[in-house]
Amino acid sequence: MTICWRIARVLIVVTTLGLVDVVVAPPRPAVAEDIVLHMAVPDWPPTRIMKDLADKLYHAPSGNKVTLDADFIPWPNYYERLAASLTSGEKKYQMAVSDSQWLGAFIEGGYYLKLNKYIDADPQLQAILNDIHPAVVDAYMTYPYKSKNYYGFPQMPDLLVVYYRKDVFCNAGEQRAFQARYRYKLPCTQQEMNNTDWSMVRDFGEFFRRKAGQKLAGQTLNDDFYGIAYQAGKGYDFSSMQINGFIWQHGGDIWDETGVPHAHAVGVVNSNTAVKAFEHYLSLTRYMPPVVKTGTMDIFKVDELFREAKVAWIIQWIGFGESTITPKTSKVAEQASFAMMPGLKGPDGKIIRWSNIGGQPFILTTWNSETVVKEALDFCKWWLSKDIQVKFAKAGGQSALKTVYGAPEYNTFRPWNQAFGPSLDWQKDVWHVPEFFELLVEQQEEFDKAITGQKTARQALDTIATFQEKLLKESGKIQ
Amino acid sequence: MTRTPIRTATVEAAGASTWWTPGWSNWRLALLVAAVVLPASVITFPVNTAFWLSLAAAAVVAVTAVVNAWGRQRGPLLVAPALALLFVTNIFPLMWSFGLSFFHYRANRAAAPVFGGLANYQTILTDPTVWHRLQTTALVVILTVGTQMIVGFLLALLFEKEFPGRRVLLMLVLTPMMLSYVAIGAFFRYYYEPTFGLLSQAVKVFTGRPFILLDTRAGALAGIVIADAWMWSPFVMLLVLSGLVSVPAYLYEAAEVDRASWWRRFRAITFPYIRSLLLLALLFRTIEAFKIFDVVFLLTEGGPGTSTETIGVYVYRVAFQYFRTGQSTALAYVLLFIVVVLTNLYLYFVKQRSAEA
Repeated sequence: MTICWRIARVLIVVTTLGLVDVVVAPPRPAVAEDIVLHMAVPDWPPTRIMKDLADKLYHAPSGNKVTLDADFIPWPNYYERLAASLTSGEKKYQMAVSDSQWLGAFIEGGYYLKLNKYIDADPQLQAILNDIHPAVVDAYMTYPYKSKNYYGFPQMPDLLVVYYRKDVFCNAGEQRAFQARYRYKLPCTQQEMNNTDWSMVRDFGEFFRRKAGQKLAGQTLNDDFYGIAYQAGKGYDFSSMQINGFIWQHGGDIWDETGVPHAHAVGVVNSNTAVKAFEHYLSLTRYMPPVVKTGTMDIFKVDELFREAKVAWIIQWIGFGESTITPKTSKVAEQASFAMMPGLKGPDGKIIRWSNIGGQPFILTTWNSETVVKEALDFCKWWLSKDIQVKFAKAGGQSALKTVYGAPEYNTFRPWNQAFGPSLDWQKDVWHVPEFFELLVEQQEEFDKAITGQKTARQALDTIATFQEKLLKESGKIQ
Repeated sequence: MTRTPIRTATVEAAGASTWWTPGWSNWRLALLVAAVVLPASVITFPVNTAFWLSLAAAAVVAVTAVVNAWGRQRGPLLVAPALALLFVTNIFPLMWSFGLSFFHYRANRAAAPVFGGLANYQTILTDPTVWHRLQTTALVVILTVGTQMIVGFLLALLFEKEFPGRRVLLMLVLTPMMLSYVAIGAFFRYYYEPTFGLLSQAVKVFTGRPFILLDTRAGALAGIVIADAWMWSPFVMLLVLSGLVSVPAYLYEAAEVDRASWWRRFRAITFPYIRSLLLLALLFRTIEAFKIFDVVFLLTEGGPGTSTETIGVYVYRVAFQYFRTGQSTALAYVLLFIVVVLTNLYLYFVKQRSAEA
């Protein structure tokens, strides 16, 4: 009897406490869950900043405890590691940073989640979409390219800008010597440098090429010094990204996937205009450091040459800017200035500008539960909120939101920001099709043969065009 | 007294069961079933089903083998776990990838593999690019293995004699062999770099101009061969040195008494002792050089153009950049076949020499 009574008492107390809790306690989610968003990211400052901001500031509106678990993977292995994870079926990541060019391959593989139904159902996402620059929407979010099928959101929008040594360009002695030799003023301010065209770049290359022992801006050089450098490497896309800009500026084109199935490669990729543009690109390499002749002058080498004070003027992705202006990692931290990438002066004297967009979107994977998808989309909305994008930009990132990069104070965050917003208008992207890597590898090999003097521009482009035509016909992209 | 009936019973039991009688100890039948099930499932079923069916067949073979050996074959049973591990991590993936080489399959697409017979083998064997890469590989193998054999042999002759500081110097010479490929690649990339590199700076002292080694095919090949030889010549040296120090001193003393020339001593005494080790070094280094990837990829990325792209680099491109998974596995098996042929060729020569001796 006693034992029965004791059990009954415990049950009564527990039941009473339960009732009190239900009646008195404030409303709360049925069950607050711990949700971890595993995200594959390349290991570099823009993703480190995102992780840092998420750790400090992100609170899921659902009341769940949502944490971002970023898997930082070194850039050189990033594609292989991500591809291996996605294709192996391990379903490790709920989100991933992806180069825009990989969209086609991984969407066709069934790994990236189509976002249209979520965007259609969410006015907040629609507002964000309307606020992102259209060139970035096309490049980072759509497959097929420029369609209305959306798959990603901008993580770090990036583009090519000019890095130059203001101590060299603004030196009074160099200014006088340049004026005397070329009959026009050597650009010094950012505004002046924004208005350069490729003929002026040739002059910079010729003028600033100095031997060890000669003087540069009043100082005697201990080593050879070079005028200009841009990417001309065989690896990944380390020449295509620059050559595409030249081709578009000259009025030529790469194979246009938006014209499927009638757009051909032969006759376009190797058109006379494209050949002229490629020859123009090659003609400037003679003013660059000798490593260009080896086909290994990729973006990392260009970055190193500039930070080691071996070159006066380069074209580089904004993503390298932070290490350039940091004294610990750069010999030119105090001297570096930034401007828009040059263009081609047209017959009317106006500068024609086109360039290949860089940067990356991030995507959601297809195997997540509806709860995880909802949390991931909430994270995307938080990330693309004005307040967080401003914080990201202040820490060294870039924002593709018009309301953020269009604000006057945006230009004060970093010295290259004044070149970012205006440049967005003339950005295009390379192919998004699943055959991207095959197209790219062949193209890079042929470009490299021309850069290292084994082929002419015409021969290289003819080979590329024939290869692309055959490959795209086999895959049904060209009829 | 008690052992005889048991043996008789076992023999009788064994005699009663034939190889087609189903039973948990009939590993022969299990093996036969697995040999039928494995290819049949790969051809017939979806890839996931085929995978699990094949794994089940392999497990049945393993279980029957264990049951059969239980209590009688202690030795094989003790090594069985190691063999099982080897099977799971090595042999099974090898067989699986061999099966994949007969399918049209891309690992980055959702589409299931489609059986294509020998189509992948036909494609790669008729592809001029593959033959070009094989020619480049052959050139790299000849140059790099030749250099390593000569340098390694000369180093061994040097270290055969005792001299002050020999131990320390020997350790230093052996160091490159212990470094990772990535470290060697990064080191030589900087060493050859025309703007900052040591080589260029050194040549500039005499010529007044930066030296660009990697801008031609010959230069790039030389760069690869030097880096690879720097890393692996000590390995050849180590093998040859072990042969050299094993030569009995009295043979040299006798040759001294006979006033034999250096060449005569080397041919009659030294060489017979190191011949088999030299062949071993040649075999190991040829196989490794044939698969060369890291140094080429890190130093030249196959360039300028494609002039130094070896077959190892090409397999990487086909597998992980083009994602033609079926084709890349077929190419990998062609390479495996070449390596096996090379190995057997060497072993044949070694046996022939031994028979002559």
